[in-house]
Amino acid sequence: MSENRPEKILEFFIDGHPVTAKDGQTVIQAAREHGFDVPHFCWHPQLSVPGNCRICMVEVESDNGDPWFDIGCNMPVTAGMRVLLNSDTVKKLRKDTMQFITLNHPVDCGICSKSGECTLQDYHYEHNGAASLSRDRKNHATKFYPLSDRIMLDNERCIMCTRCVRFTHEVSKTHALGAVYRGDHSLIRPAEDANFNDDVYSDNVIDICPVGALLSRENIDNSRVWYTEPTASVCPGCERGCNISIWHRRQAWAFKALDPKLNTRIERVTPRENPDVNGPWVCNKARDLAKILERPRAEQPMIAGRVVDRADAIAAAAALLAGAKKVVALVSSWGSNEELAAFQLTIAASLGDRLTAWVKADHQPVPGEVIEDDILIKADKNPNRHGALALFPPLPAEGLTAIPADADVVLVWGEGVPAAALPQGAQVIRLDAWAHADNEVAAVFLPISIQTERAGHYTNFAGVVSDFAACFTPAPLVTHAETLFGMLLSAEVGVRRASA
Amino acid sequence: MSVRYQRKQYWNEPTMNWWEKAYLPEVLRGLFITTGVFLRNMGKWVTGRRGAVTTYYPEERRPDFAPRNRGKHVLTQRPDGSVQCIACNMCATVCPAKVIEIEPGFDANDPAHPKYPVRFEIDYSRCVFCGMCVEACPEDAIRMAPDVPNLVSDDRYNMWLTMDEMMTWRPQADVAKPYPPKPTLPVLPLVRDARGAHGVAGGVPSKH
Ligand code: SF4
Ligand code: SF4
Ligand code: SF4
Ligand code: SF4
Ligand code: FES
Repeated sequence: MSENRPEKILEFFIDGHPVTAKDGQTVIQAAREHGFDVPHFCWHPQLSVPGNCRICMVEVESDNGDPWFDIGCNMPVTAGMRVLLNSDTVKKLRKDTMQFITLNHPVDCGICSKSGECTLQDYHYEHNGAASLSRDRKNHATKFYPLSDRIMLDNERCIMCTRCVRFTHEVSKTHALGAVYRGDHSLIRPAEDANFNDDVYSDNVIDICPVGALLSRENIDNSRVWYTEPTASVCPGCERGCNISIWHRRQAWAFKALDPKLNTRIERVTPRENPDVNGPWVCNKARDLAKILERPRAEQPMIAGRVVDRADAIAAAAALLAGAKKVVALVSSWGSNEELAAFQLTIAASLGDRLTAWVKADHQPVPGEVIEDDILIKADKNPNRHGALALFPPLPAEGLTAIPADADVVLVWGEGVPAAALPQGAQVIRLDAWAHADNEVAAVFLPISIQTERAGHYTNFAGVVSDFAACFTPAPLVTHAETLFGMLLSAEVGVRRASA
Repeated sequence: MSVRYQRKQYWNEPTMNWWEKAYLPEVLRGLFITTGVFLRNMGKWVTGRRGAVTTYYPEERRPDFAPRNRGKHVLTQRPDGSVQCIACNMCATVCPAKVIEIEPGFDANDPAHPKYPVRFEIDYSRCVFCGMCVEACPEDAIRMAPDVPNLVSDDRYNMWLTMDEMMTWRPQADVAKPYPPKPTLPVLPLVRDARGAHGVAGGVPSKH
C-alpha cells in the first residue's frame, strides 16, 4: 500500500456478523483478526500464498442468489461482501477436500511424531470424520528420506502444501528445498544447487509442516506429545534471546520403572512467538539446547577439590571475602536479571570499594557456528550481557590480564574463565553449574542451578526483557545463585562481626 | 459449645429381636457354622477327597483358568520373532492405572515398522486387569492370557513385568491378520536411530 494513501477500512460480513478489514487484507486474515477460524494447510501468516490445498474454501453470498466459492486465503475482502464460513456447501467442500488430501496419506498416526498436534489429524475429526471413499491402492513413496543431517522427510505423509519450500525461499533464503514431479507423484527434494545442511534455520520447517512429514532426526524417538508439556523459556544461544518453549515430560506421566533421566530431559525446543524478538522462528542452535544444557553437571560443593558440606563451602568463601583487601568478581552474562540484582544488592554492596566487578562472556562462538546474520543470530553468544552491563562495567578490552596482580580473591560466576588465566596469587571462588576440571582447583567451588531449573528474566541486545520459567528441580546441593548470594552475604557479615 | 454426638441413621438400619440382642446365642451359632465347615473339609482332606479349594501358590498353579481369563499380559510377535508392538503408547495412554511404561526406539531400515519398544514394562502391583490396553491396541500387539504373572515378592518394586517375560508366547497360528512381508523399499543407509550420536555421516551429499 502506498504511503500517502490513508488506510481504507472495509466493512463486510462473516456468517452474518458485521466486521471490518483493512483494504488489501484477505478473508482469512480479516476473519482471524476477528476470532473466526478458517481451516488452512498451505497458508501461513508469515509466508506467501500458494493457494494449493483448497481447504480454506469459503462461500460468498450474492444478491442474485447464485453464490460463488473461493479460497479464503487468496480472496481479498471487498466492501459489503457476505462471507459464509460454515454453510452446508462449504462443509461439504471441506469434507471432499479432506478426502482428496488423504487419498495417499498413510494415516500412520500411531507412529507419527506429529500425532496429537497434527493439523491433518485435527481437521479429519473436525471436517471429515469418514473413512476413505477410495478403493484404489495408495501410492507408496519413500518413507524416510534424509533432506539434511537434521531433517528426515516422510514422503507418504507429505500433503504438498509447500510451506517448507516457501520457508527456505522467503525466510531462511537458502532456497534449499524444491518440489519435483507432478500430481500424486510429486516429492519435496533438496535443491540441486543448494545444501539444506547450510540452512541454520532449517528446523522451523518441522514446526510449520502441517503434518508429520518433516521429522527431526534428533528427536524421532521422543515421547508422544501428549506426555510432554511446554515451559516458557528463552534461548541462551545468543543475545537475541529468542523466546522458546522447552518441552519435557509431564509430571503426571513420569516414568517409574524406566530411566529416571527420561523424566528430566529436554524432549524438544520450539519457538514461542514474540514479534518483538524472534517472530515465530528460532535458529537451529535453540533446537540443540539440550547439547548445551544437558552437559555433565557439577553437583557437589568443594574446597580445593575436596567434597564438603554446603555450609562449610559457604563459610570458607565468606571467610575469603571478609578477609580480602581486593576482590575481583567476574559476573556471568548467563545470570538472570534477578540474580544480577541480587549480586549487586548483597556481595557488591557489602564489599563496597574492595570489589571490582566486571561482566565477562561465559560463552564464545564455537568453530563452525554462524557468528551473525541479518535474520536472528547475533554475534554475542550470551543471553543477558545487556542486562549485566546495566549494572556492572564490562571486562576491559585486555581481557583477564586486566585483573590486578594484587587481587587476593577472584570470584568467578559462570563459565568461560580458565583457571590458568587467573593471577597465581589469588584465591578463586567459583560458582558454576557444569562439571569442569577448573572447578577442582578453585579454593572454594559452589554448584549453581541452570536456566531450566530456575525462573527469571533476560534482557536481550535491544533491551527487550523476556521471561523463563523452571522446568525441573535442581539436585539437592545445587543452589540458585540468587539464594547463594544471600547466604554468602550473611556468612560474610558474620565473619566480619566476629573479627571486629 | 459442645455438640452432642448423634449416631448416623442408615437406611438399612438392622432390626434385631430380643433373641438376637441377647448376643451370646448368635455368637455360638456363628462358631458352630465355622467349626462345621472346618470339620467337613478336614474330613474330606483326611479321607483323600481334597476338601477346601486352596491352591498352594506359588508352588502350585491352577491349570483350569477360564478361556477368557485376563490374567497376564502377552506381547505378540511377528513370525520373525520381533515384537509386534509399534510403541504407539495407546495402551499406556488409555490405562486407567497408568502402569504401562514404554521407551520407544526407531529403526529407519524397517520402513513398515520403524518404531518399536526398547523397553516395555507393566507394574503388576497396580494393574487392575481391566483389559483396556488390549482393546486400545491398534496392532493386536498386547493381549491378556489365561495365566498368572508369576511375581512373588514382598517388594512392590519387583512387580514390574518386563518385555522378555511378556514375549514368551508366539501366536503365529492364532493371529487372524496376515503379517505384511518385510518391505523392499529402498533403504537409506544414513538415517541413524536414536538420540545420542550427533553429526551423522552421510546426509545430503555436499555440493562444496
Ligand atoms: S513436507 Fe510438510 S511442509 Fe513440506 S510440503 Fe510436505 S506437508 Fe507441506
Ligand atoms: S538466534 Fe540466538 S537466541 Fe535465537 S535461537 Fe538462535 S541462538 Fe538462540
Ligand atoms: S489391564 Fe488395565 S490396568 Fe492393567 S495394564 Fe492394561 S489397561 Fe492398565
Ligand atoms: S497399543 Fe499396542 S502397539 Fe501401541 S504401544 Fe501398546 S502394545 Fe504397542
Ligand atoms: S490455505 Fe487456502 S488454499 Fe491452502
